[in-house]
Amino acid sequence: MKMKRRDFIPLAGTAAVACYMAVRKQPEEKISDGPAGKSAVSIQKCKAYSEDLTGKILVGIQSCGLAVKGKRVLLKPNLVEFDSSTVINTDAAVIAAALEVFQKLGAAEVRIGEGPGHRRDTYDLAEDAAYRKTIPRFDELFVDLNRDDVSPVRGFAEEAEMYFPHAALGADLIVSLAKMKTHHWAGATLSMKNLFGLVPGAVYGWPKNKLHYIGIPQSVVALSRQFRNTFAIVDGVIGMEGNGPIQGTPKSSGVLVMGRDLVAVDATCCRIMGIDPEKVEYLKLAADLGHLSPGRIEQRGETVRSVQTDFQLIENFRDLRLLNENRG
Amino acid sequence: MYLQSRLDFLLRVQNADGGWGYFPGKQSWMEPTVYALLALQGHTEGRAATERAWRLLLSWQTGDGSWRPGVSVREGTWVTALGVLAACGFNSLDGPGTRGIGWLMDMSGQESRWTVRVMSYFHFLGTDVNVNHRGWPWRPGTSAWIEPTALTVVALKKSLERRPDRSVAARAREGEELIFSRRDHDGGWNSGNPNVLKYDLPSYPETTALALLGLQGRPREELASPLDTARRFYTGCKSSLAKAWLTIAFRCYGESLPDSGVQDFSGNPDILLCAIQSLGVDGGNYHLLKTGSIA
Repeated sequence: MKMKRRDFIPLAGTAAVACYMAVRKQPEEKISDGPAGKSAVSIQKCKAYSEDLTGKILVGIQSCGLAVKGKRVLLKPNLVEFDSSTVINTDAAVIAAALEVFQKLGAAEVRIGEGPGHRRDTYDLAEDAAYRKTIPRFDELFVDLNRDDVSPVRGFAEEAEMYFPHAALGADLIVSLAKMKTHHWAGATLSMKNLFGLVPGAVYGWPKNKLHYIGIPQSVVALSRQFRNTFAIVDGVIGMEGNGPIQGTPKSSGVLVMGRDLVAVDATCCRIMGIDPEKVEYLKLAADLGHLSPGRIEQRGETVRSVQTDFQLIENFRDLRLLNENRG
Repeated sequence: MYLQSRLDFLLRVQNADGGWGYFPGKQSWMEPTVYALLALQGHTEGRAATERAWRLLLSWQTGDGSWRPGVSVREGTWVTALGVLAACGFNSLDGPGTRGIGWLMDMSGQESRWTVRVMSYFHFLGTDVNVNHRGWPWRPGTSAWIEPTALTVVALKKSLERRPDRSVAARAREGEELIFSRRDHDGGWNSGNPNVLKYDLPSYPETTALALLGLQGRPREELASPLDTARRFYTGCKSSLAKAWLTIAFRCYGESLPDSGVQDFSGNPDILLCAIQSLGVDGGNYHLLKTGSIA
């Protein structure tokens, strides 16, 4: 872009405002204490996908007091892109195990649904990610949320209306089967950010750019407000560090993290990753929906400290690093 | 045979309202309906089906000239480009097509606003994306991306073949420039973001094919490298959708396919995929997406 004289005044004005905004001291934000009571979050050690994932997920669900019987369940994995050199997606073995557990616990129906944000060919991605060969009856159970029938809802992030797929709107319980990853815009992508895949590409495009204009943290929180009947299972057996959510490097953290309070689950995952959840924008905004503070989270299974392993952060997010005095 | 089995499938799964869903028995959507309509165009057995489909599409055009993406969505979006393509194919450029073009001419990505250009100038955007060209977004109020821009450029060029218009030609040319400016380091295109926070992002086969469709008619030397990338994608990728788009792109460029190019379709219920494959196979209507250069 070539600078012309007539461009100078608005540019200079904008630059001045930007400088002022940068140096202005921000008032200390008060983070909500969240709802009454405490939230249970289960951490299960799991070094490899060949371990007894079914048993570990069952323990996690039961220790968090989740009722499943008679519910229509939608399992929502994180299926984004495929690159054989790294670990972008929720591992197929975790999804297969979750499917088996929810069926055993008496769910009326268990389906698997995802609406990838970048690629149009969802089935091809599922093939590459080994979902079709690993997960029993995958093609029969799977719904491409990008291309499902939709209906509008009102009151989503100040939008007049927002469209969602029937598979999500009709579920009694949405299970966010997320991957433990760093994220180049949000800092971390865990169970709450994973709900971006509920937004249909047929209405909002590839990528779902509308959510970027609403604001990524604001959209993450709005999705969690919209879909309240949720459970999180975060695949941190092998997560991703560095330039996530696509181009980062594998990070063995050896955990599955589960819970009904997605804010508490994501806050726990952040602490495991060496990230301060109270510095992650979307978690601060979501603090009225769940519990961020370690004092309000009842850890089941392992302690955070016993599985903590710092994930590498790109330069833009170095200030999210959990300080030693907050490591629990 | 390959074409006929696909056309038979499309005729079998047309909805009662005249449209097609993404999958059999599901709500009608603009995208599969337009591609099915184009695939069936000119085939005797498809005449009644395409006429019903066109009547449905006419009912989906909104008062501002845009087209709604589906039966249950109220606001017009990028699929307006598909509406214009269908109008060109249906010899209905006057009226619905003209109103659709009017809406497209008023539409551009938000990044072409001067405030965003200023932010780009000061490197506040976190990406090196070139914001100097106006392309088309998926939805009003968002940024321009490759797929909606490429399809809009194809639709506008198709309209120019029938009715020359200098302002339409200028916008189509600007769309081509946007496509060029967002080419990835590996020679193809992804959704429209070559890099984020200084990290290069990889291109995708289907978006590369769509970008090439938008760039038809450009000097061959500009396109040699993207076509090489597309050839590499064709032999290396497994995605049926990507292969279907690459096939159409190669046919529109008069290029022979890197291999036999016959794609398996047995038992796949994906209507959009079937329709796009139908356009590219031998005897298919890929020429409805073929354009020349902008005069």
